Amino acid sequence: MVPKIGVYICHCGENIAGAVNIEEVRAYAEKLPGVVVARNYLFMCSDPGQELIRQDIKDGLVDRVVVAACTPRTHEPIFRKALESAGLNKYLLEMANIRDQDSWPHWHDKEGATAKAKRLIASAVAKAAYLEPLEDRYVEVTPASLVIGGGVAGMFAALDLANMGYKVYLVEKNPSIGGNMAKLDKTFPTNDCSACILTPIMVQVGTHPNIELLTYSEVESVEGTFGNFKVKVRKKQTYIDWDKCTGCGDCVNACPAKVPNEFNEGMDYRKAIYIEFPQAVPKRAVVDIAHCLNCAKRTIGTKPRVHSKTGEPILAPCEKACKTGACDRSREYNPEGEILEINVGTIIVATGYRVMDKAPFKEYSPQSPNVITAMQLERILSATGPTGGQLKRPSDGEKPQTIAFISCVGSRDKRFHTYCSKVCCMYMLKEARLIKEKYPHLNIYIFFIDVRTGGKDFEEYYNYCRDLGVKVLRGRVGAVDELPGDRLRVRAYDVDLGAPVELEADLVVLATAIEPAPGLEELGRKLGITCGNEGFFKELHTKLYPVETSVKGIYIAGCAQGPKDIPESVSQARAASSAAAVPLTAGKVVVEPLISEVNQRKCTGCGTCVQLCPYSAINLVEDKDRRRAKIDEALCAGCGACAAACPSGVITLHGFTNAQIHAQIKALAC
Amino acid sequence: MKVGFFIGCNTSFNRPDLEQAVRHAFPALGIELDDLEGQSCCPTWGTLPSVDVVGWCAVSARNHTIAEQKGLDIVTVCGSCYGSLSEAKYKMEVDPELKAKVNEVLQTIGREYKGTSNVRLTYYYLYHEIGPEKIRASLKYTLGGLKVALQPGCHTLWPSKVYYDKEEDPFHPRVLKEMVEALGATVGHYTRLIDCCGMGAMRSTDMEKSLNLFRRKILSIKEEVDPDLIITGCSSCLIQFDTAQEMLRREKKINFEIPVLHFMQALAICLGADPEKVAGLARTNVKSVIGKILPS
Amino acid sequence: MSQVQGGIGIINLSAGDPSLVNEIKELGGEELLECIQCAKCAAACPMVLAGFPFFNKRVIQAILLGLRDALLDDSSIWACQSCNRCTEVCPREVNPFEIIQAMRRVAIREFALPTLAIEGLKSLYDTGHAVYLAGAGNTRAKVGLPEKPPSTLSYPEALKEVRTILENTELAELGVIPMGESGVTDSCEV
Repeated sequence: MVPKIGVYICHCGENIAGAVNIEEVRAYAEKLPGVVVARNYLFMCSDPGQELIRQDIKDGLVDRVVVAACTPRTHEPIFRKALESAGLNKYLLEMANIRDQDSWPHWHDKEGATAKAKRLIASAVAKAAYLEPLEDRYVEVTPASLVIGGGVAGMFAALDLANMGYKVYLVEKNPSIGGNMAKLDKTFPTNDCSACILTPIMVQVGTHPNIELLTYSEVESVEGTFGNFKVKVRKKQTYIDWDKCTGCGDCVNACPAKVPNEFNEGMDYRKAIYIEFPQAVPKRAVVDIAHCLNCAKRTIGTKPRVHSKTGEPILAPCEKACKTGACDRSREYNPEGEILEINVGTIIVATGYRVMDKAPFKEYSPQSPNVITAMQLERILSATGPTGGQLKRPSDGEKPQTIAFISCVGSRDKRFHTYCSKVCCMYMLKEARLIKEKYPHLNIYIFFIDVRTGGKDFEEYYNYCRDLGVKVLRGRVGAVDELPGDRLRVRAYDVDLGAPVELEADLVVLATAIEPAPGLEELGRKLGITCGNEGFFKELHTKLYPVETSVKGIYIAGCAQGPKDIPESVSQARAASSAAAVPLTAGKVVVEPLISEVNQRKCTGCGTCVQLCPYSAINLVEDKDRRRAKIDEALCAGCGACAAACPSGVITLHGFTNAQIHAQIKALAC
Repeated sequence: MKVGFFIGCNTSFNRPDLEQAVRHAFPALGIELDDLEGQSCCPTWGTLPSVDVVGWCAVSARNHTIAEQKGLDIVTVCGSCYGSLSEAKYKMEVDPELKAKVNEVLQTIGREYKGTSNVRLTYYYLYHEIGPEKIRASLKYTLGGLKVALQPGCHTLWPSKVYYDKEEDPFHPRVLKEMVEALGATVGHYTRLIDCCGMGAMRSTDMEKSLNLFRRKILSIKEEVDPDLIITGCSSCLIQFDTAQEMLRREKKINFEIPVLHFMQALAICLGADPEKVAGLARTNVKSVIGKILPS
Repeated sequence: MSQVQGGIGIINLSAGDPSLVNEIKELGGEELLECIQCAKCAAACPMVLAGFPFFNKRVIQAILLGLRDALLDDSSIWACQSCNRCTEVCPREVNPFEIIQAMRRVAIREFALPTLAIEGLKSLYDTGHAVYLAGAGNTRAKVGLPEKPPSTLSYPEALKEVRTILENTELAELGVIPMGESGVTDSCEV
């Protein structure tokens, strides 16, 4: 039967029509072999546009459809539905992307764009002639979810899914959940105390019957596909028996080692055996083996020496202090930790961010202890911080009289990050406000490029700060000089005064940029999701699919996707949990039939494809007299590696058959 | 060890005593100087660099080729020459098209720029190739007992990306300090250390503004260090510090005078050079300081 | 229409010259459009401290707005020390000093350059040295050096090479300095 192909060309408003001569292309398409009708419309994806296609199908005019429009990434599902609703198999559709691949890049070359559109359409038409109807497959979904990252975004995503009744595994690389938010003093807008709103959430997460908390753990590998991911999680070695540890802290008090305290941004010391912070969930100790002094020569995994007189074993102070036996240095030395295998239907990635260090900004005299990052100031302001919430400058513990804030340190900066970190303007105003409310006589100067306070209830911070007497200057600081007496001279050009200005300050606060958490790209590789050029995870579509990724069943939330504040992170986390719950609720998911199939009668059993398959979906099975390749439909992701490599040419990738691809290439080449 | 000595206009005609200082100190430390015969202006910023990039780089590249043909690195005592020669080299390195255009021009005089010679500044060269310890051991006299303030000079620091020798932190330079300490002096820190002295185009365009800028700097030195001597790393700074103090005094804008030497002059004196030859053109009262250096 | 109107210093943006941006980009200021006017360069600029009306940040803004006349009517761009501290601190990699250099190149093409720059160029052509002082021979002799340094002054062939290069540059086409056997400079301090 000769196929009857209909070609439907979209103007995409001006997006395509602005560069491509639609009528010329339509007239050309109409004459292509197999084409029975070619139509154009302002927005083919709109209901009247789809109706053109549906009507032609219902009238029996066409049985293959080519849509020349935008990207199949977002619009193929829409047109497939149109085919289906008109009674045609939805895989009898082919799209030519004459927008992203043509009108946009060739916007200033109308003739060239029109010529290219013709070729792209001819190619799609050539393929369409060989399209075959295919049937969808369904797979059962594992009713569980994995959330990676235990900050505020990850916790909310986990809680929502757990409250819906699904099993949730929450993986966090640090010993405790809480993330960066646990370090903050008060949070904008409305200045809620971070601990007051966060710690109850941490407790909920820690005690929820549906949540299995895997802290001090990292994702090792991810296999499988949408609905059925098999994840290996490495529980890092704590060197403490957490089943016995009560979090009493006796071992911590006994430990003599001093290690810069990450939780307090390096402004004080923790021990080598430590509990991350007092409100930690779970409240358990871990041994930082790299900094452990191995007191009493009690290297992990050795037998204790025996006291020559008393005959008692000689123990390390931490062991001696532990009343429950959780800290036992005779335990086997195993730095690898433990690998857990979990099965989940969906995954949410909420790995957060880190703030830049001050060290690269040499023009701001980072060697001075009184030049600090805003995150360090948060710790100084926090009641759980190194100063117990007292405003003291690091050099000598004196209360600073004049404080200068410098914005955009490493943000909007081509040497580091070109993006705006989005939250700095607000946290500077918030910190200034907190200080000024407590100490009205302090002088605070904030040096901005632009004050960006876009967000509900945000601008009031700007106005209120000015009411409090905070001085707001426009002009990026050019230098911070060290002065005698641990003071600092801040030098800027005040754009509004049109004059150079100098300020002597006791404390300089750098609003260093938010940047992707370390290892984000590597995690992305394990998950098969990509980072944008700024280093954050890329969403499927910025507006329409903001929590989805290019891998079905994997979602993103919070600062892993880009800089954002707490309200946005939580909103996005709850959006992600809802998106991740959809397939869990449905119980089964559609898997496109665009997978490979072996013609077993002709397979020689050479095994080339078995080696190549990145999804371990192909096995050699005994069939009568010899071994032949067999593809597991549930595992095949349709990448086509096997079909391309098969020396006998007996593997077919449905939707991309050799005949289809050859026809497509031939039409493109002429 | 042998290097090509790029003298520069200001040193040649304004402060040839500085040229003499280099000509004494380098051989005294075992480094032979080659004259790079036929060298020209670097060229300095206000001239060809302000006209066109290719022309600037061509004159610069011609100077480079003299050293390249002899297989030598270029050592200069002038901050401006250091900046202009380094920047031209950098530009041609990152922009091969520019390099090709320059070589088209050079072809007309039978030369080809390859980019094989590095541009070094006297005191950085000595710091890296000889080292403060060896220099200390070679001294006949020292600056012991003298309190010194430094003037490293903008062109010795920025833009750091174009220089062969880099400070670990250009905003807090250490090399000149270490070198002057090797001569036995006590170096006093002042907070406007890396500020511009006002020499160069600013001085030739508007003397009054240049002097005002300089005044801010010299007052910071006086108030925060009150040194016996100022040591500069740049020949342009030397000229400004040497002459501008007198002008400000005449206008009653300052009431003191601090003697000024270039690092190479102080080094040459400590290595036993005749002060008349290596510092004889100073306008500030360097004799009093030299009197403290040399045994009476 | 003039860019500066009346006595109250209003700048007429409508009279801005949009071609200035491309001119600057072609003359070495390639990164001009990266500037976001954050003012960090101005915070590091000696010209700001000395009180010049135009300096890195303002030069760039004036170029972006096409204020050719305002820039050419003022000598500030020629006072830039080329200290390059702006280039060091610029977070946008604009190379602000290069923009000032590019603006000087524009000015030279319109003969809007100070006498001193002309003298420096002429001296460079005549002697191979932009800075050349009358009586330098005596000064050199005083400290025990030959009257002439081993430069283009001592090697006529070398001077000829420098002149050939200069004759191959824009300088020859612009005609800002007399070339050929001109009267030899006796003194120039740029």
